[in-house]
Amino acid sequence: MNPRHVRLLVWKEFIQLRRDPMLLRIVMVMPFVYLIMFGYVVAADVTHLPTAVVDLDHSVTSRQIDAAFSSTAYFDVKDRPTTEAALQTLLDRGDVRVAIVIPEGTQAALDKGQVAGIGIVVDGADSTSSSVGTSYAMRIIGDLNQARAEALGAGALPGVDARVRVQYNQTLASVNTMIPGLLASVLMVTLMIVLSQAVVKERESGTLEQMFTTPVTRGEYLVGKLLPYGLLACAQSAITAVLGTWWFGVPFTGSVWIVCLGLLLFMLTTIGLGLLVSLVSRTRHQAQQTIMFVMLPTFILSGFIFPIESMPAPIQPFTKLIPLTHAVVILRASFVKGSGLADLAEPLLYLVGFAIVIFGAAIVAVRRRLSE
Amino acid sequence: MDLTVPEGVLYGLIGPDGAGKSTLLRMLATVLRPDAGEAAVFGSSVVREPDRVTSQIGYMSQQFCLYPDLTVAENIEFFARLRGVPKADRRTRAASLLAGLGLADVTTRRAGRLSGGMKQKLMLATTLMHEPKLLLLDEPTTGVDPVSRREFWQILARVRAEGRTVLVATPYMDEAERCTHVAFMDAGAITRRGTPAEVKASLPGRVLEVSAPDPRAVLAAITGVEGVRQAHLLGDHVRVLWAGDATTELTKRLAAAGITAAIDDVPADMEAAFSYLAQEAG
Repeated sequence: MNPRHVRLLVWKEFIQLRRDPMLLRIVMVMPFVYLIMFGYVVAADVTHLPTAVVDLDHSVTSRQIDAAFSSTAYFDVKDRPTTEAALQTLLDRGDVRVAIVIPEGTQAALDKGQVAGIGIVVDGADSTSSSVGTSYAMRIIGDLNQARAEALGAGALPGVDARVRVQYNQTLASVNTMIPGLLASVLMVTLMIVLSQAVVKERESGTLEQMFTTPVTRGEYLVGKLLPYGLLACAQSAITAVLGTWWFGVPFTGSVWIVCLGLLLFMLTTIGLGLLVSLVSRTRHQAQQTIMFVMLPTFILSGFIFPIESMPAPIQPFTKLIPLTHAVVILRASFVKGSGLADLAEPLLYLVGFAIVIFGAAIVAVRRRLSE
Repeated sequence: MDLTVPEGVLYGLIGPDGAGKSTLLRMLATVLRPDAGEAAVFGSSVVREPDRVTSQIGYMSQQFCLYPDLTVAENIEFFARLRGVPKADRRTRAASLLAGLGLADVTTRRAGRLSGGMKQKLMLATTLMHEPKLLLLDEPTTGVDPVSRREFWQILARVRAEGRTVLVATPYMDEAERCTHVAFMDAGAITRRGTPAEVKASLPGRVLEVSAPDPRAVLAAITGVEGVRQAHLLGDHVRVLWAGDATTELTKRLAAAGITAAIDDVPADMEAAFSYLAQEAG
């Protein structure tokens, strides 16, 4: 790898970028447009929220409550931790989004004719699921109270009183959910579109052929090609992040390093995908169509717009195959929940895997397809 | 396919469209890997040592292959720097090449906005910046006006005079005429080679020009006559490749058709040689 060659290639790429004011404008305006669009997005139908029931009372009533939550399609009771500490871990990792905490003495209080308080904890990081989840939970508790009153044949008996506690994104602002995810989405759109054109454009113009009669190696060519757009994508992410936290007031409570690591891995994956498309396409038009074909399912399945829990069960495993899914998880958890490395190990490892497989495949394809 | 190009010659590659001229040049330039076989450029294999080959050659493909959004000067600078041409040389060579090709006034224009001929000239200039020992040119003057073509060939002659080698595929027979050697290629094989004089001398007969007011009638009348190896219209007369000695039979036929025509012997040229070789191959 000759740094002089790479520098020269980067210089050339920047001149070309400057001469293509449309592309530059689109890339720089995109964060604003997307932020406005997604910053005020409204919820979709939410079902199958992953839920935990913490039963500390072990009584008839507590079992009734558990059964009521287990039998509706709105909640999927995934776990029944025995302590509040165990629950915290589940929430931190994002394994559950809603928790019902039935404290010890609930049954006793009711028996004495007192109001018994139970807790509903919702994860506000995904504002859509949590606000909808809260209202579902309140309704179930209300139904339970009514059923109990009817069974006892009495009028206004003191019943179970649910107190909602929102964890993380307390205001349930949907921007706090959308904007972190947007960071990855904008990055993906830019890199995929620009890079899918990158190589096929040079193939079409014949410059690729000319390039390989010079001492430039394929590796140098690749780095010279990717570096400028990587930098561009970083600038764009910075704009999105700054606007998101400053204008939309999205809190950032996590680790900058984790966000950078996640975005870097995601960037490698996206660059690899764009490059693969560019390498296998014969014309720019073909590359464009392929990208459109890839992009839409990615957005829909990633959980960026629609909560994954509400998707049909057979579809859900496929969401794990979408790199954006994991990037969105990491970003949301980092911004709103302040999750640490241990909590985010799974999505990070997924991204490492994707980066290795997809970027690796792109490198292999470069060796093969560039010389054709 | 077997071809040896001696050092220091201006070698022309001619042949019908689709004969494989571009493919041959692309393989020699290492941009296309041969499926089988081997070629060496100054002793280095194009398959096993492409890096040693590319440093010694300049390759100009048939299609425009520079960056349309970079200026003339930037394109030259970019490729010269990639090939490691020192700064001082870059400046003097670029100035002399651009002046020699009449591009000195358009150095700040974007390459994509040049005319077809200017694009070709810019490609030649870019190809010559690192003073390659071997130039591989694929129909370099397609779309170039006659004056510019002359400038082109003056530069090629100068390159050759400096002891460097040129291998050029060309569809123009006047250009083939200016080469020191030519090879006729058809269906991936060389069917005739030698100096232009040798190739022309290999024609089986003399070239006649039959002029008459209606050349089409002439063509119709002489087609099939014994001794006419080939006949075709060329402008307002008919070109005939005549294998016989005296032209009495030809005159007789024309007279029978009621045509009075003048028959002149003309020197065989590459045009005639090409037509004959192409017909023989086809």
